[in-house]
Amino acid sequence: MSDRTLPRLLQTPAVILLLIWMLVPLGMTLFFSFIRYVLNSLRRPEWTTPSIENWRGGGNYSFVWNNDGFWLAIYNSVFMVTSIIVLTVLLGLAIAVLVNKNFPGRGIVRVLLISPFFVMPAVNAVLWINMILDPVLGLQGLAVGGLSNIVDALRGLPVLGNFFSLWPEIEPISFRATQTSAIAVIIMVTWQWTPFAVLIFMTSLQSEDQQQKEAAILDGANAWSQFRNLTLPHLGRPIAIVVMIQAIFHLSLYAEVEIVSRGNGNKNLPYLIGELSTNNIGAASAAGIFAVILANIIAIFLLRMVGKTLMD
Amino acid sequence: MAGLTLRNVAKSYGATEVIESIDLDIDDGEFVVFVGPSGCGKSTLLRMIAGLEEISGGEISIGDEIVNDVAPAKRGVAMVFQTYALYPHMSVYKNMAFGLKQAKMPADQIDERVKAAAEILDITPLLERTPRALSGGQRQRVAIGRAIVREPDVFLFDEPLSNLDAALRVQTRIEIARLHERLGTTMIYVTHDQVEAMTLADKIVVLRSGNVEQVGSPIELYETPRNMFVAQFIGSPKMNFFGPDDLSEKGHALLGNPDFVLGLRPEHMAKVSEKDALLTAVPNLIENLGEYALVHCTTPKGTEFIVKTTDFTAFEKSVPANIGADPERAHLFDAKTELRIER
Ligand SMILES: Nc1ncnc2c1ncn2[C@@H]1O[C@H](COP(=O)(O)OP(=O)(O)OP(=O)(O)O)[C@@H](O)[C@H]1O
Ligand SMILES: [Mg+2]
Repeated sequence: MSDRTLPRLLQTPAVILLLIWMLVPLGMTLFFSFIRYVLNSLRRPEWTTPSIENWRGGGNYSFVWNNDGFWLAIYNSVFMVTSIIVLTVLLGLAIAVLVNKNFPGRGIVRVLLISPFFVMPAVNAVLWINMILDPVLGLQGLAVGGLSNIVDALRGLPVLGNFFSLWPEIEPISFRATQTSAIAVIIMVTWQWTPFAVLIFMTSLQSEDQQQKEAAILDGANAWSQFRNLTLPHLGRPIAIVVMIQAIFHLSLYAEVEIVSRGNGNKNLPYLIGELSTNNIGAASAAGIFAVILANIIAIFLLRMVGKTLMD
Repeated sequence: MAGLTLRNVAKSYGATEVIESIDLDIDDGEFVVFVGPSGCGKSTLLRMIAGLEEISGGEISIGDEIVNDVAPAKRGVAMVFQTYALYPHMSVYKNMAFGLKQAKMPADQIDERVKAAAEILDITPLLERTPRALSGGQRQRVAIGRAIVREPDVFLFDEPLSNLDAALRVQTRIEIARLHERLGTTMIYVTHDQVEAMTLADKIVVLRSGNVEQVGSPIELYETPRNMFVAQFIGSPKMNFFGPDDLSEKGHALLGNPDFVLGLRPEHMAKVSEKDALLTAVPNLIENLGEYALVHCTTPKGTEFIVKTTDFTAFEKSVPANIGADPERAHLFDAKTELRIER
């Protein structure tokens, strides 16, 4: 027996289990995506049992491909994932750098900063959409109302009033509308996941070499130049990790989409699959396969971009 | 190019006083070494000169200018750190060019200076590598190169050799000495290795818990140490001390006063005839290093000391020996104040 045989043998059960775990659902999804399979049909009761006799070929795929919601769902998936990643990384960097400085009460601030991450996604969505973003009852409504009152009062001023009359009326935004519901999802998920980025960046900042900073100070580098030339490259790997993990998680966003507007305007791929699967399992499976393909495209893209940082 | 003046310089972290009050004059072009045991404040003092550490009291001037409130980069100093502190994501070239770039120097001048410094340090083939791909000694050179390109008035080194292996340490030490000769710039060098101090320095500053114990040339410190601390710190193995109880008749005569302590350097002691003996002692361990032997002895009273000798047959383990020394090279100290007594 060579050196490697025993370890390989010992690993085998786990590997096989994982393979089954992955291959069985994937295989079933693939199978369902090529047959007619619905949960309920009075007209064609034979379609309600999955069987090779109901073979539909690429029919489910072209049905999904030509579905009105499909391209919007793909667009929304990509739009939401990228926006959330960009925002969390930028906010995470800024906050991590700020709280890395010494100030009184730092411990408490750090704990508070992490806490959004422990809120359940559904609760998070309910709180945001009802208590903060609601145009009438939420903080947004109150803030916009207050602001309009102030502007109205200023319009009454003798000379400056003319200037303020030129201002447009400020209206609260309804975040349940078709055009804005995706934005609402982005806001609430960013709020929830920024702490994750902060946490990872903060740990990494603490391992930053202080002597390098001092050398840079002696070299005449100002705070921005130090950040740009030392801190940012030092954070390359953690940034890569934050981007990867979030891409994986947010491609499958569901609860927020459901709670904000029941998929009106912010329907993403998982939501579309969910909608189809209320009856048409075949089409849902085909959409699922498209989701797998999309995830792979994004993964390859990310690995290209991020892999280099992870390797060296 | 500039000299340096420290006036009543003090440093405390909250209530802990790290440096009490230091006065020091460093001439233009001088090579000054700060030595002292761990925690005595060498690095702190150096970092105060660099501007990386705030000054709690007193004044530091470089050239004619008081620099207490001058930004580190504007003081005309360059520092080589113990861990080198190279920028890990930049090539060697960029590491060296970084400071000049920050100062908005034109690219062709930067290029000229970096190439010249690389030539001096023999690192031209390494310019495109990142620090990760360099050996410890090469990193050390890059760190020195980064200091050279800025053409500072004062170089500061904080234990630059302590991460190198023994052979490389000797080699780099010699290169630093050559560099000083070539550039003629003022250099301040921190170490706790007295060999580095003795070989490199024009002037040694011995520090102990935030105070200057003595300032002088290496030979002055070796021959006329101001107190027992300096006497033990300079020289290796360290100076042996004997009280009146350890000594023979002749030893007492040399000591003169029972409140004094006799200091003898290991390399000045030898086996002698009974009538010349300053003391008798039993060797209990003989370390033969080929070039010389270190004989560890104990006097009947229990004082332990070392004799450094090239006479390999003189001493025998466990056989009492008469030990003497050239009275000219003996040092006397006051047992209470530990200060040197001139004979
Ligand atoms: N931030 C700080 N707060 C409190 N005390 C400090 C601080 N930094 C250094 N000290 C103390 O100041 C003293 C001098 O430190 P310093 O680093 O200058 O010693 P050193 O002579 O360089 O020692 P070594 O040879 O070990 O490097 C030490 O006793 C250290 O504990
Ligand atoms: Mg130190």
